[in-house]
Amino acid sequence: MTILECRELSKRFGAVQALDSVNLNIEPGRVIGLLGPNGSGKTTLLKLANGLLTPTGGEILIDGEAPGKRSRSLVSYLPDKPYLAEWMKVRQLLDFFEDFYADFDRDRAMEMLLRLNIGEDMRIKEMSKGTREKTQLILVMSRKAKLYLLDEPIGGVDPATRDYILDTIIRNYNPEAAVVISTHLIADVEQVLDDVIFIDKGRIVLQSSVDEIRGEKNMSVDQYFREVFRC
Amino acid sequence: MLGKLLKHEFRATGRIMLPMMGALLAMALLANLSIRGLAGGLSDIPALRILFILTLVFFGVGIVAVSVMTLVVMVSRFYRNLLKSEGYLMFTLPVSVHGLIWSKLIVSLVWFFVTGLFILLIMGLTGLNMADTSLEMIISGFPSWSEVLQKLDELGIRGALGEVFSWATLAMLLGAIVSCLHFYGAMALGHMFSKNKVLLSVVFFVLISMAFNIMEMSFAFGIEDLFFDENSVREALHFASRISMYACLMQLIQGAVLYLATVLGLKRGLNLE
Repeated sequence: MTILECRELSKRFGAVQALDSVNLNIEPGRVIGLLGPNGSGKTTLLKLANGLLTPTGGEILIDGEAPGKRSRSLVSYLPDKPYLAEWMKVRQLLDFFEDFYADFDRDRAMEMLLRLNIGEDMRIKEMSKGTREKTQLILVMSRKAKLYLLDEPIGGVDPATRDYILDTIIRNYNPEAAVVISTHLIADVEQVLDDVIFIDKGRIVLQSSVDEIRGEKNMSVDQYFREVFRC
Repeated sequence: MLGKLLKHEFRATGRIMLPMMGALLAMALLANLSIRGLAGGLSDIPALRILFILTLVFFGVGIVAVSVMTLVVMVSRFYRNLLKSEGYLMFTLPVSVHGLIWSKLIVSLVWFFVTGLFILLIMGLTGLNMADTSLEMIISGFPSWSEVLQKLDELGIRGALGEVFSWATLAMLLGAIVSCLHFYGAMALGHMFSKNKVLLSVVFFVLISMAFNIMEMSFAFGIEDLFFDENSVREALHFASRISMYACLMQLIQGAVLYLATVLGLKRGLNLE
């Protein structure tokens, strides 16, 4: 069954058409790269999937329903910016996630945090940018969600942290779930992707499996992306 | 889920409110010592006299500051937690927008009540033992509850006074809710726009104030027939009761409008940066 479906989905901000009649189906059990240049509509699509924006046309469905209270219990979302309250301690964040998400695995989160030497008494404001991003990702990936929506999870961090983040995603996601990774850093994520969606100027340019691109075009996803989006 | 939201709201606001109250309590103790010093022989020393007076001034400023800060903390909590980056977490929780608004509202009301009560208590504490006044003397100076009721029965105003008290209490509670929703509604509407969100929130706040003032004045003109002719206490109480009832009705209407505006802004028009 389709976990995320877009039917003629459109979003307009004043004169700017951020998404234009997007049709999309995402199936469970796949890791999908939502790839496109800056301003192509990736973040808008993920915000719509989380109900953080309202479509101006068409509809978006999560597990057959419009985004709402139920869909939010199925989706684990990592925004493209720091979103945890700076005054909070790791312990308080674990309490918070445990209270609100029935699928949150506190032990798994604790294990990953300790491996990074992030103690329960550490406050978010005491962490470096990279550690904050890792903490956010650990919290998001410690849920047994049906759909993970990760917006630029490796943007703005060093290569070692990128490797850690990708490894954490692959080792911790629920195998029956779909993982959507939005990024423009294709070379770094290519290794973990099953499928790719190319998006440009609010339109879906391509939806394909990574194997098809490699087999039919005889190119890596990164090379093909550069060809499609050549300026 | 409302219970869980309330738990985390109290945790988030308590970390600011409790130290603030602790500081005010410390100031109250110092103010109490200053009053005793001024009343005693120590006030003859000029430097100490200035110190005591300054302590009392700071205590007065502290009371005003805590009252104002309580409102500031509650309004900024709504702004930071729902309309800034923390909103990404709050609006992706499996809770309704109504739950988010009510949790903020309930916690704000509790803190308003606790702060008000706390200020009254510490003002009492400051005056305690002042000029040889003990707590027992203060309590013994008040008539007993049964004496009060008996006197009210004698005057024949017990029922009317109870009615005024009930309506006035409800009007105060609704007034506090409307005050919070006034800020929430203005901010939620202001943040429906992509630019100048804070400025537009202020504009909406002013526009809502103006609209409500016009509405209240229209009501006030409509109730002139309520003015009493006889100069009796019972008539005055009846008038006060009717005025409080109108205030409740007014605040119910205003509260409903502001609540809907807040829900609309957060549910349909929010665009977190």
